[in-house]
Amino acid sequence: MGSNPIPSGLGVDIDGVGARFPTPGGPLDALADLSLDVPAGSFTVVIGPNGCGKSTLLRLVAGLLEPSSGAVRVGGSPPRAGDGRVGIAFQQPRLVPWRSVLDNVALALELAGVAADERAGRATEALERVGLAGVAHLRPRELSGGMAQRAGLARALVTEPPVLLLDEPFSALDALTRETFDAELQRLWLDRPRTVILVTHSVAEAVALADRVVVLTPRPGRVARVVAVDLPRPRPADLTGDPRAAELAAEVRAALTSVRALELRPWAEAEGAA
Amino acid sequence: MRRIGAALVSLGAFLLAWKLVTVLGGLPPYILPAPEGVLERGVRAVNSGVLWEHTAVTLLEIVLGFAVGASAAVLTGIALGKSVLIERVLSPYIVAAQAVPILALAPLLDIWFGGGLLARVAICALIAFFPIAIATMVGIRAADPLLDEMLRSLGAGPAQRTRLLDIPSALPVIFGGLRVGVTLAVIGAVVAEWAGASTGLGILINIANFGLFDTPLMFVALAVLAIIGLAFYGLVVLAERRLVSH
Repeated sequence: MGSNPIPSGLGVDIDGVGARFPTPGGPLDALADLSLDVPAGSFTVVIGPNGCGKSTLLRLVAGLLEPSSGAVRVGGSPPRAGDGRVGIAFQQPRLVPWRSVLDNVALALELAGVAADERAGRATEALERVGLAGVAHLRPRELSGGMAQRAGLARALVTEPPVLLLDEPFSALDALTRETFDAELQRLWLDRPRTVILVTHSVAEAVALADRVVVLTPRPGRVARVVAVDLPRPRPADLTGDPRAAELAAEVRAALTSVRALELRPWAEAEGAA
Repeated sequence: MRRIGAALVSLGAFLLAWKLVTVLGGLPPYILPAPEGVLERGVRAVNSGVLWEHTAVTLLEIVLGFAVGASAAVLTGIALGKSVLIERVLSPYIVAAQAVPILALAPLLDIWFGGGLLARVAICALIAFFPIAIATMVGIRAADPLLDEMLRSLGAGPAQRTRLLDIPSALPVIFGGLRVGVTLAVIGAVVAEWAGASTGLGILINIANFGLFDTPLMFVALAVLAIIGLAFYGLVVLAERRLVSH
């Protein structure tokens, strides 16, 4: 809405963070001594093997989880869940099944204390931005997986948080559709720049979107490698012909392969012993 | 229309079977009166005003008892569902109160609550309480933890999460409890009247049975109780259709 100043984001400072969970088999370290400095207004993509704690990292930044060690700071102070500085779109869209798509998006505004007469207009605008204006009055179960994920994105965007966290936002889409939506996401970001941290499994998606790609190690996750992506923006949806993009993708892939070798080593050793 | 038709056909078949039993069995009216005999007795009871006098009292007991019992049960069920500690502390007493036969408790409650309408409302509320409280607890516990975390990420506090997530997601299960509870409230009203009252359909049954040996009148009272039970059950189902939209 016009009266709101457009935030350009807050910096996120992750400083020696560990996340430990109790399990029946003893404590499990999802993250250990992970440090990452995310500049305000930058687009950071986090990539890594399955179970390396990528989602845990996002929950820490969202203030949904307290670090077991180290510190997380958003704009200089620790985040608290729902303090309005961080918006998160979850991997499963987590829409409330008995509310319409519009009411799901408006829920974020209601909880942010936005006046009732303003909510519908702003929620509709957020749905337009993700291409869902036509299904505002449907129930979540009537949406396809990709539409539901975009509705979750609209709910994260509608309060205009300075920091946006995206957990595999388009994982329910096929590769081609996903490219289109990545290009749309880039456009949304260029329209209203803010700090974005996106988690993905896709190297192509990482290179297409990121200022920096952060490669994590297997559990316990820490930063293995940071690849700066210096491709000019706006980037086209299809980067397959771009030699620089191919080079960067190869670099990310090599980093992933070497951390995966780390993960597979115990298997190789076990086989050697046998 | 088809549903109403099916209900009428089934009612007709029921009445016909009833009539056949009385005719083929050669049963006298004081054992099993024929349907038209009950109807005729019912018309007389309506005209004399006796039936309404007793029905009004029982209706009031059911409405008040169910309202009190259901409200207390939903609130208790929410507390039980949200807190394992509260469940540990309270549930033995709730289960024990349910396991003790209401017939045995009713005279005691009648004395405690002064023997009037209040006592009968209390008995009615107590018998409706258990299934609704347990259903609410189970429903509250079934709320999706992922949605709970989503609401936390949007800044919802515990009370808001209960209002926006726990209660709506428990509603279908709560209504299951309300359906059971409302029929139990009808039983509760009759039991409460037997424990100490001078009017009500339970009293009318006693008068017909043991005072007047008027079996058709007893059947009239039973039929009215059945209709009351069906009507309240229907109202609960109607409310459920309104409120549960998923």
